Amino acid sequence: MHMSSSLIARRLLILFAVICAGVMALLGRLVYVQIFQNEFYQISAMHQRLQSVPVDARRGTIYDRNGIVLALSVSANAVYAIPAEVIDKENTAKVLAEILHLDYELVLKRLNKNTASEWIKKRVPNEEAQEIHKAKLAGIGIVDNPERYYPYGSVAPQVLGIVGIDNQGLEGIELYYDQYLKGVKGEAVFERDALGKIIEKGITGYTPGVDGADLVLTLDFYIQKIAEKEVKRAALETGARLALIAIINPKTGEILANAIYPSYDIEKYNDYPIENRRNIAVTDTYEPGSTFKAITVAAALDSGVATLNTHFFDPGFIKVSGWTIRCWHRGGHGSQSFVETLENSCNPFYAKLGIDLGGERFYHYLKQFNLGNKMGVDFPGEAPGTVRPPSEKIPLVTWANIGFGQGLTCTPLQLLAGFGAIANEGVYMVPHYVKEIRTKAEIIEPDIPGPKSIIPVEVANMTSKALRSAIANGSGKKADVPGYSVAGKTGTAQVVEFGRYSHSKTVTSFCGYAPEEDPEIAGLIVLWEPQGAFYGGIIASPIFARLVEQIMPYLGIKPKSVKEIDKKFAVAVPDVLGKNVKDAVDIINASGLEPKVVGEGSKIVGQVPAAHAQVIRGTKVLIYTDFDYLPVYSDTPNPIGV
Amino acid sequence: MKTIPKRYWRNLDIPLILAVLALILLGLFIIYSASAGKLLSENTNPFYYVKKQALSALLGFIGVFVILSIDYRAWRRWIRLMYVINLIILLSVLVLGTSQNSQRWFRFSGFNIQPSEIAKIIMIVVLAHHLEKPDNIANWKILSPFAIIGLPMILIILQPDLGTSLVFAGIVFAMTYIAGGDVKHLTFIGIICIIITLSALLLSYYDIVEIIKPYQLQRLLVFLDPYSDPTDKGWNVIQSMIAVGSGGFFGKGFLNGTQSQLDFLPANHTDFIFSVVAEEFGFVGAVVVICIFAVIIWRGLRIARLAKDRYGMLLAVGCVSFFFCHLVINVGMTLGIMPITGIPLPFLTYGGSSLLTSILVIGILLNVGLRRQKIMF
Repeated sequence: MHMSSSLIARRLLILFAVICAGVMALLGRLVYVQIFQNEFYQISAMHQRLQSVPVDARRGTIYDRNGIVLALSVSANAVYAIPAEVIDKENTAKVLAEILHLDYELVLKRLNKNTASEWIKKRVPNEEAQEIHKAKLAGIGIVDNPERYYPYGSVAPQVLGIVGIDNQGLEGIELYYDQYLKGVKGEAVFERDALGKIIEKGITGYTPGVDGADLVLTLDFYIQKIAEKEVKRAALETGARLALIAIINPKTGEILANAIYPSYDIEKYNDYPIENRRNIAVTDTYEPGSTFKAITVAAALDSGVATLNTHFFDPGFIKVSGWTIRCWHRGGHGSQSFVETLENSCNPFYAKLGIDLGGERFYHYLKQFNLGNKMGVDFPGEAPGTVRPPSEKIPLVTWANIGFGQGLTCTPLQLLAGFGAIANEGVYMVPHYVKEIRTKAEIIEPDIPGPKSIIPVEVANMTSKALRSAIANGSGKKADVPGYSVAGKTGTAQVVEFGRYSHSKTVTSFCGYAPEEDPEIAGLIVLWEPQGAFYGGIIASPIFARLVEQIMPYLGIKPKSVKEIDKKFAVAVPDVLGKNVKDAVDIINASGLEPKVVGEGSKIVGQVPAAHAQVIRGTKVLIYTDFDYLPVYSDTPNPIGV
Repeated sequence: MKTIPKRYWRNLDIPLILAVLALILLGLFIIYSASAGKLLSENTNPFYYVKKQALSALLGFIGVFVILSIDYRAWRRWIRLMYVINLIILLSVLVLGTSQNSQRWFRFSGFNIQPSEIAKIIMIVVLAHHLEKPDNIANWKILSPFAIIGLPMILIILQPDLGTSLVFAGIVFAMTYIAGGDVKHLTFIGIICIIITLSALLLSYYDIVEIIKPYQLQRLLVFLDPYSDPTDKGWNVIQSMIAVGSGGFFGKGFLNGTQSQLDFLPANHTDFIFSVVAEEFGFVGAVVVICIFAVIIWRGLRIARLAKDRYGMLLAVGCVSFFFCHLVINVGMTLGIMPITGIPLPFLTYGGSSLLTSILVIGILLNVGLRRQKIMF
């Protein structure tokens, strides 16, 4: 028993030691958790109590180049719920669904969510918001959530692009410059308990958002409106499936107008097909066709493959390594000067230039003109176009085709930028949409590649003169506007369908600029699949003329008087008053003008233009033989002016 | 009722009584802190739980006097009866009892009675009696105490109440060891128990035999990686750790614990009451609570050492291991080092059965202490 009791004493001691060890373990754990990890757990405790709700920052305004507001963000009511604070979920859902015209089940589902806050409806009209306010529903609140507003309606919607319900840019300029426009979201912080209930005397905080920067576009509201009107008219008149008008300032690359038809209403974009939102000027490519010859001319003149004195005999076709390229003019244009080939848009000559340039050289020029490259337009989704680099596999006929604008694709803006470089004395300016970004603190220039001289001034000017001639004397005659000397080129390309060129579907276009001596605007008109007459010269050229007629006066550019235009062509209208008809017709013909007799009489009783007026050779002179036909006004209008 | 001889009163363990009173008092404050806010928001008396707990304590004190008045050696007469009644009660709670996911309680005229709590006392008394004779654990008979405790334990595991089973295991091992059980035999039995437990867990985990239900298994093991399921099964551990950890050295102050006041901490007046102490009174408060328990254990071991006979000594050891097991399992759970088993922290956790049991266990200790042979001075 004595042994036993000492054994027990020892075992009690061991038990005591075990217990001590257990207690020490607990204390050690306490030290670790409460002292060493104290900060971590304090942060965890705080973190799980704090709930932050983002507060939208006001999105930046978008202006046209003259400060006209195209898009701005305005206050809008948004109704939200704090599910934990909603007492009678069924009834609340019923009332909300009724006032806001929402589905009851949907609202109830949101109210039953186990989240800190739920949006019930955004963009709530004031009257509905008032009703909600009056209903005094527990756990339901209204906050300001700005939305996009377009004071002049849907202007250049493909350029602006749409904005999502959370005020984020989804497309177009709104997307490309979203980081500037969106600003910095603010934050409302409140403290809540484990059930999500806000603690009345808890921590609250409010960090206001930083408003987004404003954008000043290069677009000109009025020019854009003119372009939109004309593109619609052109599409409706020609039955084209799709039509585009783009206008830039060739000296700066600023895009003044970018109109597409069919268009869409930016405020109700869901009602329109998604493809109407594409800005095809940047994101889509096409085969430029004859308009491309301008670039072939520049390349040929610069490389010395041809000079302005080069003559060409067109039998109506050209054979290239087994292929026959036919001229659009059956039977051919016969013998032509360089300029005449452009006036006639003679494909065999440009095929020859393509061959003479050869793959390496031609490709070099194409690259100079940024073809096959993204130009760096400030717009999302720019397409580079396809230009295949020269290689053994590429036959000569490919370069012959490219000579007259087939076998390569480019975006409409790429072609327009190329014309711009010809107009701008060989200096290439990358087209862009944004002039400046205005933050509160500073004005930021958009990140656009700088000017690049791609062809010498003389080459550019020679090309330009040829393009002027193509209008004055060639296929693009209808694009001309007296006093504004339009330069440019028409084009008609067949649509590639199932791998072959279609006979009935064409892409008809005109690209040009004016005035030729000092270009203010360069424009491109593209009509996809017009019905009936589809030659660019017939349907696209007049549109350009109309644009020039409307835009130039707006820009304050006066038409050049005949004297200034070209003294060699200026003719003084002879005085034929009182003369008999036959004499008058002879005199007018002799002076290089075109007489037109109005009336049945035998003696001339009036003439338009008046005697001694300076007009261009070939101008019509109306000679009246009958007082009944005389215009009522006495001042004879100058037909060259406006 | 026999009067207690005067000389016994000098043996009354005052530090032990003071320690217990301190814990009960602290418990009332913490229960108030943990429950008042919620009760007020429900428009009920904020002292509702505090009052009930105080009543249970009073009932306990009366019970202590009853215990003290009877010499612990006289209990032996009723031991067989107590054991049988215990089994019957545990069996019937399985059939009739109510709780959320397990059957642990009896509803009895407004009071929830948890028989597994009372069972702990009965088992301490029964085991002490059995182990009193060293012959009962000689050689293969060492299995006998495990057999005695095994029967009620199985019934408790079936409830299922794994925490209480763990306490039972702690008590039987401690008592058999102190009674002089062969260490080799005990180690062997221990290893067998661990193997059985592990294989039961593994069989359930791999869905071979559903010995314990999957949700219990997950709840049991989630303390190993609470962030694997932070919003559901891991929630309790994480919130308890945050409460303890964010309490820091001095705590956030009485009624200022964000974790317990803002409903992050679940069961804050019951299972996780220690987290509230640690959050509101910090490291200082937590250490004080553990130290008071250490005092109780120390006084308990002292009573064991000075006990008049083997029976009294074994009773005291059973009581000490009862407190120690509860302390380690409950506090360990709030600190993320023990599985979540729903074991109360004696004297602090709200709950009549638990408080009553704890006080009665103190009564047993005091009884053994009163009737010791030697007089210290």
